[in-house]
Amino acid sequence: MSKSVDLSRLRELVEPTRVHRHVYTDPNIFDLEMERIWDRAWIYVGHDSQTPQAGDFITAEIGMDPVIMVRGDDDEVRVLFNRCRHKGAKINAQCSGHADYFRCPYHGWTYRKDGTLRGVPAREGYTDTGFEVGNPSAGLIPLAQVDSIRGFVFASKSATTPDLRSYLGDAALTLENIADRAPAGIVEVAGGRLLYKHPCNWKMFVENLNDAMHPMIAHSSVGTAARNYMQSQPNGTVYPREAEILFPFGSSYEFFDKMGVSGLPNGHGFMGGSTSIHSAYSDIPGYWDAMVTSYGEARTMEILSSNRHITIFYLSFTAKDAIQAIRVVRPRAVNETIIETYHLKLVGAPEEMFERTILYSRLINSSSGLVGPDDLDCYSRLQEGLNSSSSDWVDMSRYAGQEKVSPHKRAATGTSDLASRNQFQAWLQLMAAEK
Amino acid sequence: MPHPDALQIEQLLYDEADCLDHADLNAWCELYTEDSDYWMPVSPEQTDPHRHISLFYDNRLMMEIRRRNFGHAFAASMEYAVRCSHIISNIRIASTDSDSRKCRVTSNFQAVVYYKQQRIYAGKYTHELVLVDEVYRIQHKRVDLINCDAEQENLVIYL
Repeated sequence: MSKSVDLSRLRELVEPTRVHRHVYTDPNIFDLEMERIWDRAWIYVGHDSQTPQAGDFITAEIGMDPVIMVRGDDDEVRVLFNRCRHKGAKINAQCSGHADYFRCPYHGWTYRKDGTLRGVPAREGYTDTGFEVGNPSAGLIPLAQVDSIRGFVFASKSATTPDLRSYLGDAALTLENIADRAPAGIVEVAGGRLLYKHPCNWKMFVENLNDAMHPMIAHSSVGTAARNYMQSQPNGTVYPREAEILFPFGSSYEFFDKMGVSGLPNGHGFMGGSTSIHSAYSDIPGYWDAMVTSYGEARTMEILSSNRHITIFYLSFTAKDAIQAIRVVRPRAVNETIIETYHLKLVGAPEEMFERTILYSRLINSSSGLVGPDDLDCYSRLQEGLNSSSSDWVDMSRYAGQEKVSPHKRAATGTSDLASRNQFQAWLQLMAAEK
Repeated sequence: MPHPDALQIEQLLYDEADCLDHADLNAWCELYTEDSDYWMPVSPEQTDPHRHISLFYDNRLMMEIRRRNFGHAFAASMEYAVRCSHIISNIRIASTDSDSRKCRVTSNFQAVVYYKQQRIYAGKYTHELVLVDEVYRIQHKRVDLINCDAEQENLVIYL
């Protein structure tokens, strides 16, 4: 544990309806988060469709640790620390690819797809040193726990963290729903990715996803610009899909209140449920029929009636079920976070569904989009503003004490700060828990 | 007018760069045809803008929305000066079609963009131009950044 942060100080940082600015700005707290939160929680690694064949791999980060996700000859998808057991070099610098074995480019130690050590050059030099190539513990170290739900692979560095299903609770239903939205019941990652560098603390991005008080302010200009253009068009002009996507970002407080927000154990949560900013999208020809052919009408209705605006799988993963876009949170430093966006193809659905996913992501999630840049600018203002010692506290009191509490869920009107309060409750639990 | 007219084509590329240097998206839009698009892929060799994500892929509709949003008082990201300096070189006419009066022009560019801080973007432009009423206009523009697949921060203006 970082020497400069003690337990009593941690508890002073998080109050029921406000948090101290240092949770976003103090590098010692960030270091402690890596150790106590990111090294314990289940962190999203990738989707198994990214490694369809034995030897296919992707690389990712779990907190500060580089990892490799690789499919073995036994078809098992493993997550291994991307660090040579010899001197510690990162073995694989590519973001994805195929390998029959992994070879460290420094001294040539090689590892099989399952991580076991395959060979070291000039091994006679290790005679009588106690080191043996065949020793199972000499291989790339696997993460303590790896599990997946409908192809979404998560890993945890901690062997004592509860299993993935228990950890995610009802948030896992979003993963089920996303896959169920494919007529074949399977999704595939496709269409490239976005890497978006955010000059802010990771928690600002995560909190903002279930903050319904900002869209009508931070994103009002783009709604206005889109409306202004459409009004300049002849009467009867059909609203294009771009307008359909952009308009709801300027929705009213009442709209978002009605959508509702839910907090789940371990910091997870979602907005919406039955309605979201995506529920008024026009139908894409052929999709409904393909779904009914696979599932029947009643089940199709059931699948498509779930409309979780954004689900937060605290802390690393966020998903939009109706849009099939996922965003992954990779913290780099107390004031730097990389947001990775991936896109899911619904297997068996018309290609137009995927084209809408791509269009949505380009307009909203791209660093050159019309929504993401305004969010980012607000986070960078937070990061700068919170350096000021003029006030130590950040408010999250909206609709406090007005939550509907059930055993595994707390729900509130959509513009409540419930999600932030719920996330910080989990944050404090993890931060304050001894190893 | 002969087609292709190298001098006129070169002039158009410089005019476009000048609009962007001054962050004048209204004048910039005027250089494009009604059926135009502007594409900045996120992967090298990317062939598809519809089934693969891009940094930008604006049709005329999105250009119109973007120019109305640009500098908007209610947009946090727009509260900063945007000043650019484009250098274009190695201009080549890659192909010409006399019947449709179109041509494809490639060039190298370097753009220094001052937006909150100064950044350098570099890469290759591919312009597809069409001669309408003896004036070249841009029908398609593709911008291949040399670091298109790198982590990007906000890029609020076309390059």
